[in-house]
Amino acid sequence: MGYLRLVHSTSPAPAHSEETCVAAFDRELDYVFSSLRRLGVASSELEDLAHEIFVVLYGNWPEVDRSRPLRPYLFGIAFRIVAAHRRRRSREVCVAVPEPEDVGQSPELKLQARQSAALLAGALKQIPLPRRAVLIMHDLDEIPIRDIAETLSITRFGAYARLRKARLELRAAVQRQRLGVRK
Amino acid sequence: MTRPSAPELEALLEQGKQIPAVPAAVRARVLTRARATAALAGSARPPRSRISPAILRPAALVAAMVLGMGIAGAVVLLRDRKPAPAADANASAPVAVRPALSVLAPPTPPAPLPSAPLAPSAPEPHPSAKAASPRESYAAELELLRRAQAAYASGDFSGSLVSLNEHARQFPNGRLAEEREALRVSCLRGLGRSSDARRAVTSFAQRFPHSVLLSRTTAPETPPSN
Repeated sequence: MGYLRLVHSTSPAPAHSEETCVAAFDRELDYVFSSLRRLGVASSELEDLAHEIFVVLYGNWPEVDRSRPLRPYLFGIAFRIVAAHRRRRSREVCVAVPEPEDVGQSPELKLQARQSAALLAGALKQIPLPRRAVLIMHDLDEIPIRDIAETLSITRFGAYARLRKARLELRAAVQRQRLGVRK
Repeated sequence: MTRPSAPELEALLEQGKQIPAVPAAVRARVLTRARATAALAGSARPPRSRISPAILRPAALVAAMVLGMGIAGAVVLLRDRKPAPAADANASAPVAVRPALSVLAPPTPPAPLPSAPLAPSAPEPHPSAKAASPRESYAAELELLRRAQAAYASGDFSGSLVSLNEHARQFPNGRLAEEREALRVSCLRGLGRSSDARRAVTSFAQRFPHSVLLSRTTAPETPPSN
């Protein structure tokens, strides 16, 4: 796993590390699912890919630097797993993503949120995966460029370049989506 | 740091930052699966790796000698029995060796006894498994695999294989069949049955070509970490 930043500890993993890892995964499960959806994973495949993320996380758990936020690390795993999955499938399945119900919102707000989410999801799918990953990490997850570059094993310059291009692509994609909707 | 210039786009991204909660049922399913995998993946660091090869080799030699003596004794016993009352016409020598071996075998037999086969030869579905609901059968599957994993963790590879075979008998195509077969490979390696382990790896790769446990299963054994 050369692509993930690891901090090697000299002490062996504690006996309760299994539970700690599962608990951390539980805490970040919403984020994991959300990231997979943003990366274009179909609802029917979310659980399987989330499990693959857990397997990688568990395998590296003793070496993970837990003093730093876990989300960039998880996103890095998710990105690579989705990329590998796409290579396996050799095509991306575009399906409508049913979002879980928001109990506390009014029907109008719910509809608006659903429309926005669908618009964004549709636009994101039109951006190539490497640039989409940078855009999601930076503009949605608010991860600093330095960490993005480190997580995705690219240079900072490369990360900025991808971000800039991805934003242009997103704007164009949103415009196209809107035109498509109005037609 | 430049932000998207269009306010509309910015608003869209702002809304996109919301992370919806995973439904409770899905969460429970994912976590159960994660726990089961974690329990089995713990077997990636087999306890036998703590025993140095310097101790293991003589022990294996002694076990092989004991087994050889057992086989020799069984053969002698069978030869002595031959002139005795006429046995069934279809009782041939190779078939007769097996019961004699099981009689002669010590209570805790050494590893390569045929008591823990690679795969169950005649999978008979358990009578209770048929009647059980999917939830109950999953719990039963999990329990059997937990038992197998606990035995593996304590170094009782044969005991672990017994639980695995029981699982294979009751749930040949169970939901945890993948984890079961991965653990079987580890157990066979633990017992030093490398040819059986290789066969198990091949069958695992054929049955679960996209398994996330495949790389771990096919990976060569890691040397002791400490």
